[in-house]
Amino acid sequence: MNTKNIEIVVAPREPHYVGDGFRVHNFIPSGFRLDMERMDPFILLDYNSPFYFPPTEKPRGVSVHPHRGFETVTIAYQGKVAHHDSSGNSGVIGEGDVQWMTAASGILHKEYHEEKFSKEGGYFQMAQLWVNLPAKYKMSAPKYQGITNAQINKYELKNNNGFIEVIAGNYKNIEGAASTFSPVNMFNARIEEGGRADFSFPAHYNTAMLVVAGEINVNGTQTVSENHFVLFENKGEDFSLEATKKSVVLILSGAPLNEPIAAQGPFVMNTREEIAQAIKDYNLGKFGYLEE
Amino acid sequence: MQNFTKYLKTKANIAEPEFELLIKKVELRNVEKGELLLRSGEVCRHSFFVENGLLRSYTVDDAGKEHIIQFGSENWIVSDRSSAFFNEPSDLFIDAVEDTKVVLISSDFINEASEISASFRNYNQIALQNHIRHQQKRINLLLSASAELRYMNFIKLYPDLTLRVPQWMIASYLGITPESLSRVRKELAHKNFKPN
Repeated sequence: MNTKNIEIVVAPREPHYVGDGFRVHNFIPSGFRLDMERMDPFILLDYNSPFYFPPTEKPRGVSVHPHRGFETVTIAYQGKVAHHDSSGNSGVIGEGDVQWMTAASGILHKEYHEEKFSKEGGYFQMAQLWVNLPAKYKMSAPKYQGITNAQINKYELKNNNGFIEVIAGNYKNIEGAASTFSPVNMFNARIEEGGRADFSFPAHYNTAMLVVAGEINVNGTQTVSENHFVLFENKGEDFSLEATKKSVVLILSGAPLNEPIAAQGPFVMNTREEIAQAIKDYNLGKFGYLEE
Repeated sequence: MQNFTKYLKTKANIAEPEFELLIKKVELRNVEKGELLLRSGEVCRHSFFVENGLLRSYTVDDAGKEHIIQFGSENWIVSDRSSAFFNEPSDLFIDAVEDTKVVLISSDFINEASEISASFRNYNQIALQNHIRHQQKRINLLLSASAELRYMNFIKLYPDLTLRVPQWMIASYLGITPESLSRVRKELAHKNFKPN
């Protein structure tokens, strides 16, 4: 056993609104030592911790906006969100579901609270990640994977201590539901109080976790509370979690792409020229069209 | 004041001793999104150099509708000339579209910089000519150009503002309805979108 230790625990920042429907704490890239290069290939993590939205007739959300050069991954913990994009894809994801959208060469999309959820109001809790694409796939065709919770394979922890949902990658020979363009592991570990789970990733993978609910002890040494983010060292491979309260933990581990990053707003490319081109293409309608 | 320093040193080519003298005469101010820097009817002695962020100047008509005269992102100067240089009450509102850092420039600053630095005087002269050229072009577009042509000129002048401001503000700047702007963008997409 070659233990992977905690490099830093990051507390949630003051939340801000994305549109009027997502009240998020940003961890990547604005968190202390959580910039895009350090977290490569995870270039953004916004976390909407549980928040009550009162009933409304007009669904809250984010209006039409573009993306190019990466994938957006939305993981729903509470509430429902509806998605429409310029490739003609649409879908609703609810508790336990995941939406994996590959923007690649360019897409327009909008994200709103689902209509019924909006009308009734309720608690909303989601994580959104941006996963960078290798340069050779940045201009490939857009793609959409709407993944229901039932489609996500689960690894049962022993003694009925919970399970690991394998959204992407591989956990103890259980294959992830989403296809990825580079090695990415993304799991929801749902662990009962007192339950344990262990993980192993190559040392050079950038590895982190977000305590979505509960409280977790890492490697028997440090306890991490709800809404806190843990970045692991790029040394060692194995770490273990013990839930000191019933917990949900989002686990992330990916092979760094080690390619130059040029980012501006909704575009993440390799050079400034490619960013300028993305802006130009978007302005000229080359991303297509989507009604507000 | 990285951008303002660059403006004085690199663009206006002001030498170090003069720069040291002049930089003391300006003031940096943080403006929150939505905060007004100038209200119509007031006199404001400053012009606003945008260090970072985004300002807009606009008028409000009798029906309460806003008409955007100018956007000013990084390195732009936004001001009401009648107020800043002629001491008259302004017709304009100026506010921040994003959280913005502005450098407050007084008319005295411009006069003094022009007196002590010939290169600043020349640069300011060219900048003024350029400003007038833009205004002429803008008047012509507003009087005679199609919505599409106005939009094409807008994205050339302000490439990244389509990502930073809501559609209705762009429509207001172009003097068209938000519906017309949607139609222009939809037609461009039909013409230019090639799915891969």
